[in-house]
Amino acid sequence: MCPYCGVGCMFYLVSDGGRLVGIEPSTTHPVSRGGLCVKGWNAFAFVHHPDRLTTPLVRRNGELKPATWDEALELTVDGLRAVQAKHGTDAIMFASSAKATNEENYLLMKLARAVFGTNNIDHCARLCHSSTVTGLAETFGSGAMTNSISCFDQTDVILVIGSNTTEQHPLIGSRILNAVKNGTRLIVADNRRIRLARHADLHLRHRNGRDVALLNGIMHVIIAEGLEDRKFIATRTENYAALAESVADWTPERSAAATGLDAGDIVSAARMFAGGERGMIVYSMGITQHSHGVDNVRCIASLAMLTGNVGKTGTGVNPLRGQNNVQGGCDMGALPDLFSGYQKVSDSQLREKFARAWGVPSLPSEPGLPLTRAMNAASEGLLQGMFIMGENPMLSDPDQNHARTTLQNLELLVVQDIFLTETALLADIVLPAACYAEKEGTFTNTERRVQRLRKAVEPPGAARADWEIICDLAGQAGYEGMHYSGPSEVMDEIAGLTPIYGGITHDRLDPHGLQWPCPDRDHPGTPLLHVDRFTRGPGHFSPVVHRLPAELPDEQYPMVLTTGRTYFHWHTGSMTRRTHLLDREEPCSFIELHPDDAARLGIRHRDRLLVSSRRGGVQTEARVTDMVIPGVLFMPFHFAEGAANALTNNVLDPESSIPEFKVCAVRVEKLP
Amino acid sequence: MKTLTAGQLEQLLAVLSTSWELRLTILLPDGTRVIGSPDDGPLALQGGAVSGKPTAAFFPQLGTVFASSEGELREPKAPERPLFVLGFTPRDLACLRFIDRFFADGWRDDIYFRQRDGAVVAGLSGYCGPGGSLIRPAGGNCDLEFFRDGSNWLVIPYSEAGIEIAAKVADFASPEARERFRQASVQLPDENETLLLRASELLRANRVPDYFWSEIGDRCIACTGCNLACPTCTCFGVQDWRSTRQVERSRMWDSCQLDGFMREAGGHNPLGSEGERSRRRIHHKLAADPEKWGEISCFLCGRCDAVCPTGIGIVAVMKELVARYE
Repeated sequence: MCPYCGVGCMFYLVSDGGRLVGIEPSTTHPVSRGGLCVKGWNAFAFVHHPDRLTTPLVRRNGELKPATWDEALELTVDGLRAVQAKHGTDAIMFASSAKATNEENYLLMKLARAVFGTNNIDHCARLCHSSTVTGLAETFGSGAMTNSISCFDQTDVILVIGSNTTEQHPLIGSRILNAVKNGTRLIVADNRRIRLARHADLHLRHRNGRDVALLNGIMHVIIAEGLEDRKFIATRTENYAALAESVADWTPERSAAATGLDAGDIVSAARMFAGGERGMIVYSMGITQHSHGVDNVRCIASLAMLTGNVGKTGTGVNPLRGQNNVQGGCDMGALPDLFSGYQKVSDSQLREKFARAWGVPSLPSEPGLPLTRAMNAASEGLLQGMFIMGENPMLSDPDQNHARTTLQNLELLVVQDIFLTETALLADIVLPAACYAEKEGTFTNTERRVQRLRKAVEPPGAARADWEIICDLAGQAGYEGMHYSGPSEVMDEIAGLTPIYGGITHDRLDPHGLQWPCPDRDHPGTPLLHVDRFTRGPGHFSPVVHRLPAELPDEQYPMVLTTGRTYFHWHTGSMTRRTHLLDREEPCSFIELHPDDAARLGIRHRDRLLVSSRRGGVQTEARVTDMVIPGVLFMPFHFAEGAANALTNNVLDPESSIPEFKVCAVRVEKLP
Repeated sequence: MKTLTAGQLEQLLAVLSTSWELRLTILLPDGTRVIGSPDDGPLALQGGAVSGKPTAAFFPQLGTVFASSEGELREPKAPERPLFVLGFTPRDLACLRFIDRFFADGWRDDIYFRQRDGAVVAGLSGYCGPGGSLIRPAGGNCDLEFFRDGSNWLVIPYSEAGIEIAAKVADFASPEARERFRQASVQLPDENETLLLRASELLRANRVPDYFWSEIGDRCIACTGCNLACPTCTCFGVQDWRSTRQVERSRMWDSCQLDGFMREAGGHNPLGSEGERSRRRIHHKLAADPEKWGEISCFLCGRCDAVCPTGIGIVAVMKELVARYE
């Protein structure tokens, strides 16, 4: 399975003499259908890079020095125990990884809870779709993508909002392009002129952070014009009256004033979306990464229910998962408040079930810290030890200076990764891990498809699979409940404890996986959620009050910065910046600014710029383009030498704890 | 011309494996057919062209150029045993002929010929296409050809190596089988071949406007699959990996659909838009190569159309182009 995005494309790795030499796409896979994106075609190219970590490292006299596994494991366990003894059980935090397998996420969750007795475990889903999990759990009862990728071939109208799908989920984006060619209507709501916008029937370039105003306006028009699906509302939902009342004064004119759009376009969007027999809503980080991310998701859920677009083929609320296994990371309970399968740690019966299975007397009942709040707790000294597996918060967290100071001040930082990342450079102990091509396990894609990963080559040097390292740490800590013959046996344990994975075993996953819920061994998997009833019963309309982003432009910082990714790089670049063709394509940090702004500021294409916010400043290169609207800048966060997250605002959604990566205020100056 | 049953063919391959390193058409666990080692899957000769570049046997996606450490330079060695590659369709063989000439022209690419020299190439034709359909015989461009006739395979040698291998086969083809082979060899009109010529003429006459290519480019997500699956695409990039102990230079398939392919150091790019790059992709095969080599360098293997996620492979584009501008 591809190690990059959540689409879950399948390919074979071609090896020659123990070295990977190429990629062969699967021609039969239902998602990728013989194709791949550019990252997929190059996914083998970083595996043997000379920068791979090949031995454990331990900081001695200020420097990271090679160590044996025995030393590193002992120091890790003793260090975590010492922090707990000194500062309390919950003074340590485990960061799991959406790049690791389901089995590995489950095991790290088990290690945190059963061995170290803390619920302080989370992973980067906190930074991407925590708003979805919260918002859709409340409205539908399940935070997952409701429909399947094949639905894009069977729909009449698609609303893409806050998703640059052809770049970030390319094999889904290409399905949207094909659907449009075959007559499906497309509405793109995103103020960047993304590729999909070139093919859209309607492109809405609304102001950043005004999604609630736009969606409330659209829902107002639908109700005012009688375009809502009354039967669906009456039979499948609750609290409709409150929604109708809340959008009653969101006239197109008010929505237009708030969003910067034409009122007529809002009316057109409402008619176009409600006019389709089957309508899909697609969204991603443009919706979730706001201080009101959960509210955005609530609006999307309401729009889908208002138009009867849930529970049928070719419809649905489709939050596209970013990482290859971010769905699985959540499913496996690498979350502070949930065991695997979204079972609450606050439920005493569930705690007893897990404690019995894991052979421990009890498990902690209080939810732990979300990753983003853990960083704040660490900066206040409440948290003193962190174990980070396969994440690089030095580049991925908001407000880089804050992240750096926090990590540096920890009594113990252990990082388990495949490269010496910016975060690993700060660690006291570094554990070398195998990459996706060097181990077995499963990943779960954005449409809940659990798929097998197979080992193609050996890990370099002394590097080992994450699951093996976690089991050894458990053994080192004196815990006897983590001896497995392999990931397949781990999945059997997961299935026994996790109803939605109850029927999932490795031997059932060939060739193309199973979509959860899959409660028993005879169950064929579930392509569509909420068919006859929502997971929670009736779908719940949650009305939303429009709130502005936390930081708006002012005289000192007059422009809006929004951040994201490029097509050619993956997150903090540890893999793609070591892949020749991908790094050649986007070799350096850049910032997009509109030609009008460039002219006003005397900036030319490729000029060196200083971009500053209240958190810090970075140097980067100007990319003058009408991809962005005047007054708005876009910057990708891949580049350590021009880190967008040195600028972003560490303000969190109060419910999901997601940072507001998508809006902050900055100033831009040309460097001499 | 001789005859083999399926079982005899497998026996022959077992015999050949003592002298050659076999690369055969095999079936991978999910049903994908590729040319690979017989250790990686069962033989799957039926079904037509395999996915993936068949020429990867000689020109892999990534290959070492050299490694250097402590004043010593190491180059990859030729395989201990030469390759025997079975799985090229006649169209694939035309592609192989094209790149053999390309890699031998002028500088002679020693890395390519390290794999290619001494290799035996066997074609596949007859009633072994998708659903048992007929694949027209190659009639050459290879050392020997296996033609599926009913449940048997006719063995047709062309080169000395091919004749030597065919000599290991006992039975001779019946007169009826020979006649079926002769009839199958008769050139039948192919709609796509006609289309190819017409599209080539339109391009060479400069009758396709830029906005057509902009429209195609708008649909290109730069996956590069068209280039990476094309047997006649030979462009490669070069990378150096430096560690404390050594430098390793390797080369990997490149793609003219990437901005970085032609971008100058100063940032200017003569192929700076997806439209221009889409035009280059098709124009190169249909207009530039005929000038240089005297033939169109697309042999209609169908791979770029199969891998393209957005439906702008060469046949799809040619159809649209001819429909609009002829």
